[in-house]
Amino acid sequence: MLGNKCEKCQAEFFPPVNICRACKSIDLKPLEMPGAGKILSYTLQKESVAGFEEQEPMVFGLVELSNGVRLVAQIVDFPYESLKIGSKVKAVFRRVKADGPSGQIYYGYKFGPPRSPRETSATEE
Amino acid sequence: MRTSTPIAIEGYGAYIPFYRLPTTEVARIWHGGGAGANKEKAVASSDEDTTTMAVEAARIAVAMAGVEKNLGAIFVGTESKVYAVKPTSTIVAQALGCHEILAADFEFACKAGTEAMQVISGLVGSGMIDHGLACAIDTAQGRPGDDLEFTAASGGAAYVIGRSSRNSITKILGSVTYVSDTGDFWRRQGERYPRHLSRFTGEPAYFHHVETAVKNLFTEFKTKPSDFQYAVFHQPNPRFPVEAATRLGFTMKQIETGLLNPVIGNTYSGSSPLGLAAVLDIAKPQDKILLCSFGSGAGSDAFILEAQEPLIEKRKMGVPVRDLIENNVRIDYGMYTKFREKLQR
Ligand SMILES: [Zn+2]
Repeated sequence: MLGNKCEKCQAEFFPPVNICRACKSIDLKPLEMPGAGKILSYTLQKESVAGFEEQEPMVFGLVELSNGVRLVAQIVDFPYESLKIGSKVKAVFRRVKADGPSGQIYYGYKFGPPRSPRETSATEE
Repeated sequence: MRTSTPIAIEGYGAYIPFYRLPTTEVARIWHGGGAGANKEKAVASSDEDTTTMAVEAARIAVAMAGVEKNLGAIFVGTESKVYAVKPTSTIVAQALGCHEILAADFEFACKAGTEAMQVISGLVGSGMIDHGLACAIDTAQGRPGDDLEFTAASGGAAYVIGRSSRNSITKILGSVTYVSDTGDFWRRQGERYPRHLSRFTGEPAYFHHVETAVKNLFTEFKTKPSDFQYAVFHQPNPRFPVEAATRLGFTMKQIETGLLNPVIGNTYSGSSPLGLAAVLDIAKPQDKILLCSFGSGAGSDAFILEAQEPLIEKRKMGVPVRDLIENNVRIDYGMYTKFREKLQR
């Protein structure tokens, strides 16, 4: 997950921006986002567009990364009942969609639960 | 087989999906049957496949090795390629940001992963590349109701191999391979599920190849079971590896750490490499480890490994296999059919 950082005021962004939203500087450098974060809000989407049928119902969450950057992403591997505001998450590499049974498969990041106390302690940094 | 330049494992990563299907669920639907002795099996979610699991395991292995994008080869050993034609290895390479790299998929039923480790070893040992990545991953499928459905599981491990140095975590002292044309298990092009010759998969297939490879390894490297602190065998069910190990002169104490089938099932190409990861999670410096895979069709690769001092610190960068096993959610047969594309809508 490549975002960027303002060289002038240190603000971090994902997805990357051309002009710093905090100080309007154009001096920005690419920065790999931390994989760990927590859920600020979430919702269940029961019906989706073509290519996502296999994953229905889908959960989407507003995630705050450990550097404070916020983004909306699909949340996986949480039984819906166990999902809470504040739940710790980490970025995972998953199938985003497929163009039917014979078309191409597209991959990207989503967020899921940390699998080890080791990853949880990283979230709290 | 040994390389002229000493080689070693520089990093490893394991991946086991979150979901578990208890085998009592398979028995409930199909009224018993199956090898049945494993308690649960690991099931990939509907948005997971060999590619996604290879990327997860590879990222950990590459970070632990500290090689970043400096990989000369990526091989993915699997029998559950996502595309029939289109490499899985290029998707993994892209996700890791590597482009000037040799990339290929290996197939040899359940030994495709160890085969990838041997080829990487050769490339590193010859000096053609500095570091290479071997991924051993499968999303194994069993025909609904078949014996295989009790054990066919998802998961695997990835290994970065380089020249042996002060930073290496585990030396690869050497390996052997033994193969023969044995029709114990196969899947024809275009077929969804593999076929197998039930009882024939034991004696002439698994036991013959595993025992021959390990005995050849003992001869070639002048070693014996008591020289090893750990031994890891391919695990099609919980029974075969214990039987083979016992016949070869190993004790339960040597094999129990790497014996994961009872709790996650058979991850095919991922099976013995995941067992090795579980051993590396706890091994002490200078511990000797035997690794022996088995792939139907058929063949076995056997390795001698020796843990090194840097393993103690570097493995803290990984996710312990124990945590991946214990941190899980149980699903029923209904959810399993939904996840593994057995449901028509
Ligand atoms: Zn700024």
